[in-house]
Amino acid sequence: MSSSVSSSFRLLTTRIPVPLSSTKSLFSSSSFKPTLSSPFLISKSISFQRIETRNQSRSPTSISASSSTSLQPVEELPPKLQEIVKLFQSVQEPKAKYEQLLFYGKNLKPLDAQFKTKLNKVEGCVSQVWVRAYLDNDRNVSFEADSDSVLTKGLAALLVLGLSGRPVEEVLRVSPDFAVLLGLQQSLTPSRNNGLLNMLKLMQKKALELYVEAEKGVLESAQSSEGGSAHNELQSSKLESNGDASSSNSTVVGSSSVGEGSVSKKDVKASEFPGLGSRGTRIKEKLEKELDPVELDVEDVSYQHAGHAGVRGSDGETHFNLKVVSKEFEGKSLVKRHRLIYGLLQEELQSGLHALSIVAKTPAEVGAA
Amino acid sequence: MMMMEGVALKFPPLKLFNPNFPTSPATTVTPSLARFALRSFSSSSSSSSCSASLPVSATAGKEADSALGTLSLGHLTRPDFPILHQEVNGSKLVYLDNAATSQKPHQVLKALQSYYAGYNSNVHRGIHYLSAKATDQYELARKKVADFINAEESQEIVFTRNATEAINLVAYSWGISNLKPGDEVLLTVAEHHSAIVPWQLVAQRTGAVLRFVDLDENEVPEVEKLRESISRKTKLVVVHHVSNVLASFLPIKHIARWVHDVGGKILVDACQSVPHIVVDVQELDADFLVASSHKMCGPTGIGFLYAKSDILSAMPPFLGGGEMISDVFLDHSTYADPPSRFEAGTPAIGEAIGLGAAIDYLQGIGMQKIHDYETELANYLYESLSTIPNVRIYGPRPSEKVKRAALCSFNVEDVHPTDLATLLDQQHGVAIRSGHHCAQPLHRYLGVNASARASLHFYNTKDDVDDFINALSETVSFLNSFK
Repeated sequence: MSSSVSSSFRLLTTRIPVPLSSTKSLFSSSSFKPTLSSPFLISKSISFQRIETRNQSRSPTSISASSSTSLQPVEELPPKLQEIVKLFQSVQEPKAKYEQLLFYGKNLKPLDAQFKTKLNKVEGCVSQVWVRAYLDNDRNVSFEADSDSVLTKGLAALLVLGLSGRPVEEVLRVSPDFAVLLGLQQSLTPSRNNGLLNMLKLMQKKALELYVEAEKGVLESAQSSEGGSAHNELQSSKLESNGDASSSNSTVVGSSSVGEGSVSKKDVKASEFPGLGSRGTRIKEKLEKELDPVELDVEDVSYQHAGHAGVRGSDGETHFNLKVVSKEFEGKSLVKRHRLIYGLLQEELQSGLHALSIVAKTPAEVGAA
Repeated sequence: MMMMEGVALKFPPLKLFNPNFPTSPATTVTPSLARFALRSFSSSSSSSSCSASLPVSATAGKEADSALGTLSLGHLTRPDFPILHQEVNGSKLVYLDNAATSQKPHQVLKALQSYYAGYNSNVHRGIHYLSAKATDQYELARKKVADFINAEESQEIVFTRNATEAINLVAYSWGISNLKPGDEVLLTVAEHHSAIVPWQLVAQRTGAVLRFVDLDENEVPEVEKLRESISRKTKLVVVHHVSNVLASFLPIKHIARWVHDVGGKILVDACQSVPHIVVDVQELDADFLVASSHKMCGPTGIGFLYAKSDILSAMPPFLGGGEMISDVFLDHSTYADPPSRFEAGTPAIGEAIGLGAAIDYLQGIGMQKIHDYETELANYLYESLSTIPNVRIYGPRPSEKVKRAALCSFNVEDVHPTDLATLLDQQHGVAIRSGHHCAQPLHRYLGVNASARASLHFYNTKDDVDDFINALSETVSFLNSFK
């Protein structure tokens, strides 16, 4: 029986195209809500299959779908940006929209001259635009911007207000398509003169750079093991790639096995793994408490799934890769092992955790490999 | 002898004859004139019959002329341009970006359609009927271009993709083989990128030196300085005839004489002149002259180089391939005579024929008439634009002595030109351009990043200018209200 179920019980989420435009219709159907009455996750995977067939084949890459045919749903935008979009949508008349835009621009804090450098300049704009990014104490990224064109300044203000103070991953997930929702009819094609697109790209690039810089700082100061640093590097490389899910998955799996022989992860606190938020930490703690694992790997891969139905409404932390090596699994079939884990994480599954990809082994099995 | 349709006659401009135009008694073309015009387009009539009919048209013309004053050339020709009759963003389209590209009359559209639907076939080597017809029309188009600019022979016209390619042709063919280290190429800071960059590339390869003449206090290239800069080292002067930003004219005839005196040559960028005024290459004594079809009511994808035949004969090939060869062996080839030598591969046949049709259309109106009307428009535009507070128009002030083309590049203080252009488009349907108009050195010289530009053509009217100014005024107020 175990052979028929894939040992990693990996839901076919990686091959599911990002059905951004059709998620609305899907979302209305109640079967797609991520509440779990029973741990019958096989039925859940069938529902994912339905998503797959309903869509035209679309490559699963590029979650930040800047293709004009599909839009990132509003709910996935950072909260302040959502507010702004909704405000613009509520204003019907084009002239009033422009007034609103110019109003935002007028109130944008001017950028200090010292920051108007070549590195901060947005290329490909007919007007001059500068963007500055910095991390605050909580490692959220904040922005400042300026432009000599008032319309561009307005757009910059939207981005600054909408994206500042948010986690880097969230900023990286924003697709420029939201501009369509503003209804401003600015040129939204990724052409040379699209100031909004270029601004967003530069902001995302700078956010990523800051993140990577900060990561290096953590590495140097943390007492993490070799496995830890490899983990960190992979985290940042994953943030960068943000695209081909399968390849980065395989690298992750690789790192898990690398970490096998190293120091027990029990000693390493969740806070030293910046990839884990509150849910990830809770998962880790729960599993540690209940299963007393010889080895435990909890990895947040939610970003790979940003965009499909199950993720909506949550603030990330929806998909995890788990590797657990524990004596508790002895004598249990693969399905039973997975059921055990799901059982332990019931609460999480009912509050937004959407899927787990599990590798569950006994110490003996690992030793034999 | 073959019966050719649409013989390229060089007759003086007819009084306007437009079958689409709703006639009123004062402006009706007299029956004899109409018959004459129709006849000349459908048969191979000789020039003598044309001149015989002219006195009739001249008197009829005068009466018609004064009446025509009520309906401008713009009003008369607008119906010929289907694209102008639409709404954009909820407002009537006011197209004022003609310096970037012009619109096409349905006669040109029809010519393209007829070509592709009726006789599309590869030219020059074909034996069969369609290819013979295509070849004839293609070569007829070449003749029309030659006649339009008064070239001595049609062999002096080389069809290219556009003026930019034509300049590159001169640079890579004539330039590479004639420029030596230390030779000078003289340009102005107001040149279009297409006139500058090919010479930069060639200067790198040959060791020639580029020199640029600045503007004078009227914001026109300093002609005296240009004259002084011409020396025995000057091998080529590259200048615009009409500036696409400053709207100024350069005295090509004089400049040509100065450079010929030292044994140099002149390349005239006539992109903004050929579509708007009478251009006579023999009178100007130009060595090279380039223009693009799409700016003169013709299709995109075709342009031409005019060069004196002795110069052309001495130039090595630019692009290699079919059509430009004579004999091809494995280790070498021999080349065709010009113009074929410089027309490698299958040309833009339909587009060349379309350009021919555009020239017919322009000739039907008369370039002098177009020039006069546009001068009127130019003054009206300049004066109207000057009423906008805090506006800065680049280029010379128009006066009796100084003529401007019908375009204005401008800035409004504390307003970014892109904001202007965006709101003009979004809120008023007015199409202008904002940016550096392919003249970055000029903008740098003027000390601005970008400018807005409104440019007119003979199918624009004073109403268009009024719409533009009203929209601009509103937009400026709107933007200022946020300061």
